[in-house]
Amino acid sequence: MLNPLRSEAEAFRFLIYVLVTAVVIAVLVLLVRAVF
Amino acid sequence: MEAASIGAHPAGSAPHEEHHHGPPEANRSSRVEPQLLGMLLFIISEVMVFGAFFTAYFFIRVVAGDPWPAPGEELPKIIAGVNTAILLSSSFTMHWALESAKSENRFGLQAGILTTLLLGATFLFIQINEYVHVGFAPQDNAQASVFYGLTGLHGAHVAVGLTLLSFTTIRAFRGHFTAAEHRGVEVPGIYWHFVDVMWIIVYLSIYIV
Repeated sequence: MLNPLRSEAEAFRFLIYVLVTAVVIAVLVLLVRAVF
Repeated sequence: MEAASIGAHPAGSAPHEEHHHGPPEANRSSRVEPQLLGMLLFIISEVMVFGAFFTAYFFIRVVAGDPWPAPGEELPKIIAGVNTAILLSSSFTMHWALESAKSENRFGLQAGILTTLLLGATFLFIQINEYVHVGFAPQDNAQASVFYGLTGLHGAHVAVGLTLLSFTTIRAFRGHFTAAEHRGVEVPGIYWHFVDVMWIIVYLSIYIV
């Protein structure tokens, strides 16, 4: 399991996952706002 | 610190690398290095501080249903977006610095850590500039207070990170780090990525959603 506090490499991977998730959420929110 | 147990380890050794008998050494984790444990506990506590500020944001926006941003106010999304790219880049250069440290690439370490420091300082400069030009003050309304509170709290964490990175940069240029011993790069690196993760969440909440 990924533990972002165990090493810098895992923290960096966690950052990438958070970034991807944030982009997906942002795109979804903006799409919904554009449609409705 | 005296060893209280039979077969206890000399100070500074990693207990998990040797056979030991009896209870673990007092005030020491048997699994996590002290420096890493210190940063781990610090980050966990800071996540809780951010949680408190996000709670205020939640109450204003969801519970009270106040408009976001407040009427007549506009948030500089594009500038903040550029700032986000700058901070994200700094995490990449930080990772580059650490990977360089692990592979004894001294130039990569020095260039990476210095670039991280400069990018972080640029982020903070742009953030302060944004405060000057945003057009509202923290005391104007609840939304403004939360905006300044959350972004300001994050900015304070960036400042702390820049302090850590300054020490690391100086030490990197003095040749303190090796492939075997680079904890002084790893621990600030973990903190810096935490700061970046928090910014992504702050940016998403404050500027985008």
